[in-house]
Amino acid sequence: MRKTQASAAGLAGPAGGSRPAPARARPPLKLRLRRAVSRFGGPVFAGVVIALLYGPIIVLAAFSFNNSIVFSLPWAGFTTKWYSVAFGDANLRAALINSIWVAAIVAPVSVVLGTLSAFPITRFHFKLRGAAAMLVAAPLVIPWLVIAVSGQLYFHFLGVDLSQVTVLLMQIVVTFPLVTVLVAARLARFDRTQEEAAVDLGASQLQVLRYVLLPHLMPALAAGFILAFSWSFNNFEISYFVSGFNQLFPVWVYSTLRHATNLPEVNAIATLVSGAEVALVYLAWLFFTWRSGARTAREKADALLEAVR
Amino acid sequence: MAAEAVLSARQRWQARAVRRLRPFGFLFGPVGVLLALFVAPLVLLLIMSFRYDSLYITKTGFTLANFAGIFTNPAYRTVARDTLMMATTAMLLQLAIAFPLAYFIAFKARRWELPVLLLLVLVDELNPIVRIYAWRMLLGRDGLINSALQWVGLTSRPVLWLLFSKFSVILVLSMSWVNYTTLPMYAAMKAINPIVFETATDLGAGWFTRWRRILLPLAAPGIFVAILLVYVPMFTDFATPALVGGPSSYMLGNQVADLMLEIGDWGTGAALSLLMLAATAVISVAAYFLSRLNQLD
Repeated sequence: MRKTQASAAGLAGPAGGSRPAPARARPPLKLRLRRAVSRFGGPVFAGVVIALLYGPIIVLAAFSFNNSIVFSLPWAGFTTKWYSVAFGDANLRAALINSIWVAAIVAPVSVVLGTLSAFPITRFHFKLRGAAAMLVAAPLVIPWLVIAVSGQLYFHFLGVDLSQVTVLLMQIVVTFPLVTVLVAARLARFDRTQEEAAVDLGASQLQVLRYVLLPHLMPALAAGFILAFSWSFNNFEISYFVSGFNQLFPVWVYSTLRHATNLPEVNAIATLVSGAEVALVYLAWLFFTWRSGARTAREKADALLEAVR
Repeated sequence: MAAEAVLSARQRWQARAVRRLRPFGFLFGPVGVLLALFVAPLVLLLIMSFRYDSLYITKTGFTLANFAGIFTNPAYRTVARDTLMMATTAMLLQLAIAFPLAYFIAFKARRWELPVLLLLVLVDELNPIVRIYAWRMLLGRDGLINSALQWVGLTSRPVLWLLFSKFSVILVLSMSWVNYTTLPMYAAMKAINPIVFETATDLGAGWFTRWRRILLPLAAPGIFVAILLVYVPMFTDFATPALVGGPSSYMLGNQVADLMLEIGDWGTGAALSLLMLAATAVISVAAYFLSRLNQLD
């Protein structure tokens, strides 16, 4: 454009005018920049955000193999000794076992309670429906810190010593409403004529539940189970206030960091736990997109959003 | 047969009773759990905040002293102001990151839409304390960022305000929650038919008008959900300031944790928790009404 303007104004170089104009003029720098930004700006921006989310964890994992107690360059050599230190730590082992044990109970209980509460809220009409829905949603909105403090006071008031049982109970309270939301969303999209058809074909109530409703709810139940497990395993606030002397994994990491002793050990175990968490969720997601027959990217995105809505 | 069609009065009554009671059969378990372990503790919290309960005071009975102590002590005011400042800055930073990111994923990413979405969901499965620790490791005095800055030659000495400062708390809070901020905004934007934008362009709207009159109002519910999901937990967070903050970034959450677990002043701790609960309720309602201002007619 600049070139054509220049030749139009008679300011072209010595050969101007006689040389045939190029088939496609090079656009000006400003336009090219704008195009480049609109083309690469988004991907670069998204890449930077993803790098900020995952970068620190990757660096953490890398330094778990560094043969030094400080996390700075230069690299002090490869070692796996921090992993043996972590495995030899009895407190850490106890905390991990506690956490897995608690999560393994919280997850199925949350699925049951969440499903039970989702049914009446989405399908039945009764006077207290609004109140019930608000009550079930409240633990998702009220800060966990407040719930944790009230739990601490409550168990003290009841004269119950803090233990794995108290932390388990409080975690169920904050976790099962998540399953309620997932199952209710899935139920709301269920076409009830399917049920009527099943009844017309002679199915009993139980058969409708088993062969029509449950298969439809399965993705939500599975997502609910996995999310409830990870919410429970990762839960820090509640665990910190009501677990008493039985440390859970997040509390162990927190108190180790507060005292700043033997940090590479934290790197090692954090790497293992993060790897396990990512692998678990990714495998579950692969399994369910495969089961649900999601082939296109759109269907897979829907399956994914199902889990986060 | 007539016997099938005609139900006796008793059977009808039974059927109605079953229909009436069915919801409560389902809700018995969940609501029972919530009443026993959620409502009752909150009621106790309310009562405790109006009672003397401290290791240092032997008085008993009802009082307003806990609240009076909080409102008259200037230290609480400073902490509350710092908390509000840090949580709000982190929220604005996240909205500034999440809005374009959600727009990119929803409209521009195409085949990258799913991977980016999956990565945003997956990062939430990582342990939050571990994620905070990873940042602490990076930002430290001898951390990777300081080594890099010195290697490039931007500074000759380690930059100390990177860690144990307001800066580190705001940064780590933002990075802990930005995925949660993005997802509801993405869901809201995904529901917009892109044809709306083309129509607006054909009718002569520039990018700013499209952004201001279409994208923003239609994404507003998503922004509200994001603020509700993220602002409240950030406002009450105490792990982040405890691990990457310093004396200047002590937050209300730390105050509550210290009152309850270190100092043992449970009355004041309960009162402060209750005030924070009230503040989060105000924030939630405000976010809700703000989201309604921008609806399309």
